[in-house]
Amino acid sequence: MAALTEEEKQRQKEQRAKELAAEAKSQKAKLKECERQIAMVFDLNKCLGCQTCVVACKTLWTRDEGMEYMWWATVNTQPGKGTPKDWEQMGGGFRGEEPRPGNLPTTREFGEAWEFNYEEVFFGGKGNTVHLQPKGNPDWGPNWDEDQGGGQYPNSFYFYLPRICNHCTEPACLDACPRNAIYKRPEDGIVVISEERCKGYRFCVEACPYKKIYYNLARNIAQKCISCYPRIEEGVPPACAWQCPGRMRFVGFLDNEQGPIYKLVKQWKVALPLHGDRGTKANVYYIPPISPPRFDASGNIDESKPRIPTEYLKYLFGEEVEAALATLQAEMAKTKAGGKSELMDTLIVYEWKTLFGPFRTDPATLQRPKA
Amino acid sequence: MQCAKVTASRGQLLDPAAAEWASIRGESVKMSATPLANQPSEYIKASRDEKQVGKVRDLTVQTVHNGSDIFFRLSWEDATNNVETTDITTFVDGCGIAIPIKGGDPPIDEMGSKDYPVNAWFWRADYEDGTARNTFAKGLGTTEFSKDSPIQAKATWQNGTWAVVFARALAVPEQKDEAVQLAEGSAVKIGFAVWEGSNGERAGVKSFSKEWLDLTVEA
Repeated sequence: MAALTEEEKQRQKEQRAKELAAEAKSQKAKLKECERQIAMVFDLNKCLGCQTCVVACKTLWTRDEGMEYMWWATVNTQPGKGTPKDWEQMGGGFRGEEPRPGNLPTTREFGEAWEFNYEEVFFGGKGNTVHLQPKGNPDWGPNWDEDQGGGQYPNSFYFYLPRICNHCTEPACLDACPRNAIYKRPEDGIVVISEERCKGYRFCVEACPYKKIYYNLARNIAQKCISCYPRIEEGVPPACAWQCPGRMRFVGFLDNEQGPIYKLVKQWKVALPLHGDRGTKANVYYIPPISPPRFDASGNIDESKPRIPTEYLKYLFGEEVEAALATLQAEMAKTKAGGKSELMDTLIVYEWKTLFGPFRTDPATLQRPKA
Repeated sequence: MQCAKVTASRGQLLDPAAAEWASIRGESVKMSATPLANQPSEYIKASRDEKQVGKVRDLTVQTVHNGSDIFFRLSWEDATNNVETTDITTFVDGCGIAIPIKGGDPPIDEMGSKDYPVNAWFWRADYEDGTARNTFAKGLGTTEFSKDSPIQAKATWQNGTWAVVFARALAVPEQKDEAVQLAEGSAVKIGFAVWEGSNGERAGVKSFSKEWLDLTVEA
């Protein structure tokens, strides 16, 4: 048989690469398959910025070695640099179907776990002379620019943005992993990482446009929010939702037409994904913040312009935010005029546990496994 | 590539700086970037430039056996010794050897195939001194790490050069599905890979010997 020409060899290689790509694509499709999707809606008009969700998550999931810097749930002031610092400028996600390159943040950008001078203040006899403070003058942390916000007095503004893993329908992390270590749970669409398959290569960290995957330096694996699936399996809501004093976190299946999630996302279209333009089809949705009107140059109230610039909200939540805000305001006006609004009733949440869809079990009623 | 028989102990040969290695002829192996088109991740394809992949292009390989153990000494120039993952953004140096477990001619740039799996010996600069991992793969993205590794490795980095010695018993019958079985007189195919940590190389992003080389274990 005659030897292949260079051209023929090249053609064979290209053909083989196509076959491999098709194979990889079908494997990825299997990892993304799920019968139902759990989603959450965060009502930004109710977020107090109290960080209770953040601490609930921290104490439950990220206390082990290598997890010191991890905050799977965060709350940051907007506008702001967020966590990790300037994550919105770090790329990732998709442009159309094409993956968009992303950066790896440093632990410093996430905000390292600070050490405090507890010994000195509490046990070193200097309680009256030395302040309790972090050691080593840190210049960044996971909530460093709290309450700075934007705008100029008297039109300064800010609001809080709680974030967790978005458990995307098209997870960029899942697509990026060369070891197929990331998958969506078939029963609820929660995105999880197999700690057996993960080898700490961190392509997922690069690819996630929300920078919600954390690399554990002590264990050489990637870790992230697991939507508290061991609680979900027992009918208990995720800790961040259960503990939220503002009662602003709705949990439920996206396809349950009777539930608040479906109503807010699909029916009223007032809940929108954060940076939907990153193409991952995020499953955490946000009710955009309504703001008071601006002051004009002479100090009079200008009803025509909201304090939070609509352009900024469009940047975060897309063009659809305008219609969402209009709907919210119209429904609010209805209730102000003494009328009834199903949307406002849904957002008010008269019955606390209606926030949690089918996950209403009080974790305190469960039997704890023996240590 | 000839693996000559010598009379030296494992203890002696495991040291990359041992005098025994000075007289062993080294074979120079040309290394190339792994083809991006084969990466089992659309993200990796889209985010890398093949021209920047596989920083280490020249590898020197020496190999000997002493009748019971086989040794490979891999050396290459590297101005930066990346020995510790100090942050999310840093990666460590590494190298590896691949040999088909059941012979055949599986594609080297696909880490073997279902019918012809590949055994890869893997050393990384942050592994505990003296250790290396045994891995096996049946295609791209399928690499498994064995629970127990029959491989030892010792490394030095001096004057901008890494030298890594792998040592293993020729035959490891307890791992017949996960490791290649060798003996005096064996003729197998062999390939090599190097990961340059400072270039963010990990997983399939590395330099490798594009074609299998022939290795003969002298009787």
